[in-house]
Amino acid sequence: MSERNTKSPYTVAHLDNGLTVVVEKMPDVRSVAAGFAIKTGARDDPKGLAGISHFLEHMMFKGTAKRAWQQITVDFDRMGSQYNAYTSEDRTVFYGWVRTGDLERQLELLADMMQSTLPPEEFATEKEVVLEEIAMSADQLDHVAFDFLQEKVFENHALAWPILGYEKTLRPMTRDQMWTYFKKRYVPANMTLVVAGNVDPSEVLALAERYCASWKTGDPGDQRVPATLATGVATLQVERFQQQVVALSFPSVGAFDSRVETVSAATTILGGDNSRFFWNITQKGLALRAGAYHMDYTDCGVMILYGTCEPSRCEGFLDALRAEADHICKEPVTSEEADRVKNKRRTSLAVEAEAPYYRLTQLMDDMEFYGRPRTVAQRLAQVDAVTPETILEYFGTHPINIQGHLTSVGPRMWPV
Amino acid sequence: MSNMVHEKLPCGIECAVLPLATRRVVAMQIRMLGGCCSDPSDQLGLAHVVNETIDKGTTARSGRELSDAFDAIGASTGSGTGRETITYTCTVLPEHFERAVALHADFLRNPTFPQDAVDVAIDLARQELTALQDDAHGLLDKYLGRHAYGAVLGRHALGEVEMIDRITRTSIQQYWRDYFCNGRMIVTVAGGIDPRRVVAILDSNFSGFGETASAGREGYPVGFAAQTKHHDKDLEQEQIGIGWPGVDATHDDYPTQQAVIGILSGGMSGRLFTEVREKRGLVYWVSAWSETPRGAGMMFMGASTTPQRCEQTFRTLLSEVERLSDDLTEEELERAKTGILASHETRGDTTRSRCSELASDLFFFGKPVSIEEKIAKLEAVSVADVRRYLQSYPRDRLCVVTVGPRPLENACPSNPENAGAS
Repeated sequence: MSERNTKSPYTVAHLDNGLTVVVEKMPDVRSVAAGFAIKTGARDDPKGLAGISHFLEHMMFKGTAKRAWQQITVDFDRMGSQYNAYTSEDRTVFYGWVRTGDLERQLELLADMMQSTLPPEEFATEKEVVLEEIAMSADQLDHVAFDFLQEKVFENHALAWPILGYEKTLRPMTRDQMWTYFKKRYVPANMTLVVAGNVDPSEVLALAERYCASWKTGDPGDQRVPATLATGVATLQVERFQQQVVALSFPSVGAFDSRVETVSAATTILGGDNSRFFWNITQKGLALRAGAYHMDYTDCGVMILYGTCEPSRCEGFLDALRAEADHICKEPVTSEEADRVKNKRRTSLAVEAEAPYYRLTQLMDDMEFYGRPRTVAQRLAQVDAVTPETILEYFGTHPINIQGHLTSVGPRMWPV
Repeated sequence: MSNMVHEKLPCGIECAVLPLATRRVVAMQIRMLGGCCSDPSDQLGLAHVVNETIDKGTTARSGRELSDAFDAIGASTGSGTGRETITYTCTVLPEHFERAVALHADFLRNPTFPQDAVDVAIDLARQELTALQDDAHGLLDKYLGRHAYGAVLGRHALGEVEMIDRITRTSIQQYWRDYFCNGRMIVTVAGGIDPRRVVAILDSNFSGFGETASAGREGYPVGFAAQTKHHDKDLEQEQIGIGWPGVDATHDDYPTQQAVIGILSGGMSGRLFTEVREKRGLVYWVSAWSETPRGAGMMFMGASTTPQRCEQTFRTLLSEVERLSDDLTEEELERAKTGILASHETRGDTTRSRCSELASDLFFFGKPVSIEEKIAKLEAVSVADVRRYLQSYPRDRLCVVTVGPRPLENACPSNPENAGAS
């Protein structure tokens, strides 16, 4: 095991098989969160197998050589663990948040799950669960609109398909196909164990060694290709919805970029709680909701300006979005606007420091995007470096007063 | 509890403060004892519009200046309109707490309800009601509440679309005069701050704000009626909700009720997740939960599934709760209790959660209740208690609500009234 200890609250180590272990000691809490992040997600789904990463996440709860599926959930619940898993485009995460004394039981259970047998007899039933999840998603306007946006903006790229996949790709999917994908992607070199809480880092490293060191090494065969964003207009008419979702998408920086705090500040100024969109669009009655969202992946990013409005108000809403986009590209934001965002960020960092689960997710981001944990001081320094000038510079290189990509989903076939 | 402060301040506010020395933030929750149950019956949705407009202008600041002032201290704020309260939450660094209280006092005491903000809020309320039609779970929640609780407690905070236009600036001001005062305020604070300082800051900022006599402490009557209601809607899935009366949060049987919910739906090993989802693959979402307005309790189960599996899902939900009396094990009960107990040290241990729990204590019990006392009551729940509870509160009269493309067939033949589709 290689280990790197510094004066920071973080310990980063690598087992001989390639598993990265990250520990943050939080002396003022009574709990600990532990989780595995696997660098595999919807964008890694092989062509024709859209949804396999997410379906696999479900199947990871279905059994190991030591435990039947009922025993996995019973063992989580015996600890009173707050546990779950999720799949994004870039990664799959399994975690549990428990009382400090239950760290070893939690870690052993999660590690055992990572060696799943993907029981063949559970495959068909769990597929039905995922198909119900797809049906549920189809009843939610926001989900339909977001999936449509991804499909059009990332046309012909692995980021285009929905995380859940499609019924047409799920139905014919076999357990053997999943097994092949699982053995390829869930290898130590592609995984990170993160633990945050009131723990002794050396104890965590010893536990990691005990439960994970025997895992076989392998090459995940990463074949990610950077995406190019499409421009244009796409409309999806769904008559059973009442409201229209309208969104503009523009190329932006990826999550690893040094300007990411600048972009975060810009989206807050445009579309946060007390933002330009709130006062100039929502409070003018042009749309029920209007926001800005920065979608960041490891190798690319998208700035999305979006909102939900009555179908008859699409034109006015789009004009207002474009006017705000033009304004922020041409005129620097005020120093007061930048300062307000920074002040809120300080509070959110203090809140984050209270809860091991919040820290767990942040550490997973840091490891994937920066290759190391960032201290609060480092993050505050990045926040403090944001100024009206850096925001204007960002929009100079990544303008949002250009055509971009317009998507519209709702009962109205607009624009035609 | 030793450093806890709980008192009625000279200004009339009921206040409790939980000092947490190691915390780097302070959380505050203000519960104004009003809410949508206090809406005039011909202006449902009024409390929601009051809440949406109260911070859009004061005698000292415009709405935007007020928001800017909160942002200047980095405050994380929120608000919500419920059945029995309008709630305001705020989290700040300790050094900004006094300023945060002053800003809350400004908009709660001195709102001007500008006409243009009122017009926008009414328009947005109408749009919210339209948007609710695109939210399948939200619709189930609305209809289940309406049918299970009856006319008053069953109101939805957004109101009804045909009444929104009756709301005026005058009715908004009247609601504010009637329901916003110190005698109706419960304020709780938790975090890294001296309780005596909190008390002094609150009392000085709110002194003289309306009636000081305690008011709004009583709950509302439940109008439960066993019934089966279907709301036709073009959806991929059928939303199913089942409700029946339970006990309120202060009842001796409440810890047992919590355990029952835990057994049914506390974790992935809960009966509903195991039987409905994992064994049969009928659903993605399935859950059991309880709600406790003051003086009342309601138990619920819900699931969403594609229409052809609706009947089987419904029958499985009912059979799972019915067989609890027969085959509940000690181990299963212990697991459910552990889930609740452990959460006090995980997600329930954040400063915001502690503040919110304290506010619930004052709301339901009129005093703080120690975690030790809550734990002791829950730990004492036995299998025999669960069996007795299930017999005492039978599921022979159910409120069944479906939203989706087709109604259930013969959902509850035993229900005395069995209304058709609406």
